[in-house]
Amino acid sequence: MGATMQLAKHVKFREEKFGGVLFETRSEKVFTLNATAAAVVREIAAGHDQKEIAARLADRFSGPPAAIEREVAGLIGDLQQKGLVEDSARG
Amino acid sequence: MASSEDLTAPLYVAWQITNECNLACLHCIEESGPGKAFRDELDDKQVFDVIDQMMEHEVPYLSFSGGEPMLHARFFEMVERVCARGGQLKIETNGHYLSPENCERLHRLGVKAVQVSLDGASSGTFGRMRVRGEFDRTIAGVRNLRAAGVPIEVNFSPASFNVHEAGAIVDLAYELGAASFYSGRTMFTGNAVKAWRHLSLSDEQYDVFFGVLRRKAEEYRGRMRVHFHEAGLLEELRYRLQSPAALLIVLPNGLVKIINALPFVCGDFRRQSLPEIWGNFRRAWQDPRVAKFISDLADDPGKTRTLHQWVHL
Repeated sequence: MGATMQLAKHVKFREEKFGGVLFETRSEKVFTLNATAAAVVREIAAGHDQKEIAARLADRFSGPPAAIEREVAGLIGDLQQKGLVEDSARG
Repeated sequence: MASSEDLTAPLYVAWQITNECNLACLHCIEESGPGKAFRDELDDKQVFDVIDQMMEHEVPYLSFSGGEPMLHARFFEMVERVCARGGQLKIETNGHYLSPENCERLHRLGVKAVQVSLDGASSGTFGRMRVRGEFDRTIAGVRNLRAAGVPIEVNFSPASFNVHEAGAIVDLAYELGAASFYSGRTMFTGNAVKAWRHLSLSDEQYDVFFGVLRRKAEEYRGRMRVHFHEAGLLEELRYRLQSPAALLIVLPNGLVKIINALPFVCGDFRRQSLPEIWGNFRRAWQDPRVAKFISDLADDPGKTRTLHQWVHL
């Protein structure tokens, strides 16, 4: 916890009306994001760590903070597992 | 998965920046070659304006091809313009201008990858396909990419006279340090129409070819990606008709095609902005002429010979 993350080198993010898209340009795979996932990716790109992201989203979205924390953790885990997000230190 | 209908701009722009080429390959779908630059190719101001529009609309991924893109007089400035603004850029080249200095420059500018066409694992086979091409110079170019730290991709177009080397070419690509290998079916269009009797493969030959690639994909799993499309053109186009890729094909004169394998033009960067062209693109795929062309291909696969007779939608 506390470690900042960044989008992986070959990943590009673009906001869209429905949320956003992540384009992994090495494999040429496109991942569609809903509004919540796009908000998380936007915060990652801004250099926030997981705790900060959960806190910032809790301010913006209604819902129990614990549930938002779980959702953020799940999304970040999924992005990391797909190689779309990595620790900043690896950059 | 968002469809192109939902997106504000394309995700990928494949830009043939010039039709000029130092080679005259038998299978070239663009009919490129020495002296084959279009007379109306975009001028410098237009070229940089197109790049700026793409960057302003956050097109995440571009490729420069040709012809031979490295022959474009402003090639490195164009690369710099894209990379400096965060675009991911792939160069598709025949590999003949990959000197150590040029590779170092491409690395410094930050290109995502350079894809080199290798249509033979030996000089003789390579030379049959890539007329005027030099195998040793191409291989040296790929080695220069590796030395400079530029990610490498290799592309292979099968023909009756080189398909027996398919496995050897995958091995060679790996030995040269490629991260990805690409192949598929050679298309009946452009120069290939005239040379088809030398190029065409039977269904049985394609079965064997794709079998080799499947085994190689397994052999190199985790070390080099081996990508290949087994689907025939008709199958691919029928799929695209239902689900168009968010991809624009930009020709050297600024005209924009909806997909390379169809003759339909949906825009012109000399007169229209990217948002206008993107709007046209989305409507163009609904045009009944597109569906009819694809439907007619089932009865006459040879219609692909007309891809250069552009139809403006």
